[in-house]
Amino acid sequence: MSAESPPGQDWGRGHGAAEVAEPGFKRADFPPQLLLHWPRKLTNRELREAGLERHRLEEAQYISSWPRRGLRVGEGQQPLEFRPVPLPSGEEGEYVLALKQELRGAMRQLPYFIRPAVPKRDVERYSDKYQMSGPIDNAIDWNPDWRRLPRELKIRVRKLQKERITILLPKRPPKTTEDKEETIQKLETLEKKEEEVTSEEDEEKEEEEEKEEEEEEEYDEEEHEEETDYIMSYFDNGEDFGGDSDDNMDEAIY
Amino acid sequence: MTQAEIKLCSLLLQEHFGEIVEKIGVHLIRTGSQPLRVIAHDTGTSLDQVKKALCVLIQHNLVSYQVHKRGVVEYEAQCSRVLRMLRYPRYIYTTKTLYSDTGELIVEELLLNGKLTMSAVVKKVADRLTETMEDGKTMDYAEVSNTFVRLADTHFVQRCPSVPTTENSDPGPPPPAPTLVINEKDMYLVPKLSLIGKGKRRRSSDEDAAGEPKAKRPKHTTDNKEPIPDDGIYWQANLDRFHQHFRDQAIVSAVANRMDQTSSEIVRTMLRMSEITTSSSAPFTQPLSSNEIFRSLPVGYNISKQVLDQYLTLLADDPLEFVGKSGDSGGGMYVINLHKALASLATATLESVVQERFGSRCARIFRLVLQKKHLEQKQVEDFAMIPAKEAKDMLYKMLSENFMSLQEIPKTPDHAPSRTFYLYTVNILSAARMLLHRCYKSIANLIERRQFETKENKRLLEKSQRVEAIIASMQATGAEEAQLQEIEEMITAPERQQLETLKRNVNKLDASEIQVDETIFLLESYIECTMKRQ
Repeated sequence: MSAESPPGQDWGRGHGAAEVAEPGFKRADFPPQLLLHWPRKLTNRELREAGLERHRLEEAQYISSWPRRGLRVGEGQQPLEFRPVPLPSGEEGEYVLALKQELRGAMRQLPYFIRPAVPKRDVERYSDKYQMSGPIDNAIDWNPDWRRLPRELKIRVRKLQKERITILLPKRPPKTTEDKEETIQKLETLEKKEEEVTSEEDEEKEEEEEKEEEEEEEYDEEEHEEETDYIMSYFDNGEDFGGDSDDNMDEAIY
Repeated sequence: MTQAEIKLCSLLLQEHFGEIVEKIGVHLIRTGSQPLRVIAHDTGTSLDQVKKALCVLIQHNLVSYQVHKRGVVEYEAQCSRVLRMLRYPRYIYTTKTLYSDTGELIVEELLLNGKLTMSAVVKKVADRLTETMEDGKTMDYAEVSNTFVRLADTHFVQRCPSVPTTENSDPGPPPPAPTLVINEKDMYLVPKLSLIGKGKRRRSSDEDAAGEPKAKRPKHTTDNKEPIPDDGIYWQANLDRFHQHFRDQAIVSAVANRMDQTSSEIVRTMLRMSEITTSSSAPFTQPLSSNEIFRSLPVGYNISKQVLDQYLTLLADDPLEFVGKSGDSGGGMYVINLHKALASLATATLESVVQERFGSRCARIFRLVLQKKHLEQKQVEDFAMIPAKEAKDMLYKMLSENFMSLQEIPKTPDHAPSRTFYLYTVNILSAARMLLHRCYKSIANLIERRQFETKENKRLLEKSQRVEAIIASMQATGAEEAQLQEIEEMITAPERQQLETLKRNVNKLDASEIQVDETIFLLESYIECTMKRQ
């Protein structure tokens, strides 16, 4: 565009031959700073500063990209001078590409991909019973080696533990009776004493095991209490925390 | 960690592990080492979710933990390790070229699962290979174990640090978290296992793993109750060794481009000989005598000793200084200057970027300033033989993009601009850092754009998947051509066009990500070795 156009040229005529239309404005329309010899088209900023009306500029094809409509690469404000070099193609490139896409898909199917829990719907539906919507009790789908991880990361599944305790206890009494029978058969004179001793020992073992399990749980709680300043009950059960405050915000939460 | 790196880590974690893991991971990367409850409190997620996420992250070697005083366990994330996830396809492809399909699957399983025992890896790989084989054939465990041993011998897989086996004389309660140790000597020691068996083909009834009824679960657990002989010995992929391999590949191809095939073979032989003797961060390899190199050349190359000596002298005299002569005993002792080679590669990357972005004249000015170290504007015009106005414009353009920097040398103590020299210079380290930062940003943009494109056409993609599933099931039950044709026509022609465009775009974006990652590797290696030197 050349700003040194013949003044007073009429708007809309004489467009045909020239690639860039001759401006139809008078020189006086332009503020002084725009009367310099610009080697390229005006930028948005300059036009805005000049304060000229949009439609006249658009018609004069001074601005090609205002408003932006479906631009392709290199047609924006700053035209791309150098196109990018083509990507590597060939066997290796295609194989690595396919491999990448396959890996992406595969990782989504692995148990390591944790999906956010499906929010509970308002009404319990009959189909919920038959739909597996995630692991039970927030347990993990895969089995890490718990010996390598800090103990606090183990999510305790309460149901299984209770089963374990109940299984153990009934086993104990049959064993004690077996022991008793053995001692009765072996030694007759020390029968009473040994019975007492073995039964006491067995009882003690039972108590110790129960205590240990209880102690483990208790000890962990104490340990946790020692660790942090947070109140244990506040973070105790992950299900309750933040789970109830979904929809009804009528009640104030204290 | 810069914002660009954190953003990229967030995108990678989200794509591969889901949003919960991403939230926890990004929080740890941003804030450093933190205990469990603080993480749960700060991110606002429930404790169970945090525990799950941390288990996944630790399994994949992205997060490590440490026991502090008072029994508090703190977790720390490794941002650079998360960025390695971009390179997984390259690792797997490299193993394929070196150890064929078996090795490829071994490394793939190790990368997908983080860490595994050798028996688990062998079993999984055998099963996968069996599926791809013809009916009736199965893959033997022995073959897979052999490949595994070879991978361990060449250090491509290594043992993870394990729980120390202490005697049971611990008086107090067990510690809250085990401190894992690994002995240097044991890192590549394969346990003596006799794995006998063949791969199993998965039957179609097992394939719907999604809606697994509860009856199948106890079966799965009883399988694991058999005693595993190498219990507790976990293996992981040794990424440093792969990086060393990539670096060697880059050096060899650079020599091949600059000189000829024979010299690149010589350099490859030298690098192979010093693979295990030289540590990955050494500035140069161990000196190798010309006689040794001659003996270790690959069998196909029949060049005489004299020709080899000539080639070595040529390589040593080359201004790029990839190969250096360190002595005359044994027919001449030669070393490969690894750090110099990396510096040349990084510089070549910078030059290529300048050329592709600004044009060949700018590249000429850039190379000139690199060579002469410091130049005034007038001198640049004279040396580069470019008119003054253009040269000025180009210099300013490169300066604004931070490829170059200005060095002021005042003539007078008051630093008056008219009386100071302004010298243009290229600081390779800072330019490399700047380019690396841009690479991170561009990969983040590429990933976001790909996700956007996929989301835009989600409905169409789902429809096409459904149609494919219908066609597959109909073909299995034996349908006529006409029916199949009808089903195929459910996707109209413009929709097909749209799908084609989508596929082409996604492929292009993916290929670009892989390409940018190669640049990232070069720049990161260079920056790392330069920082170590300082």
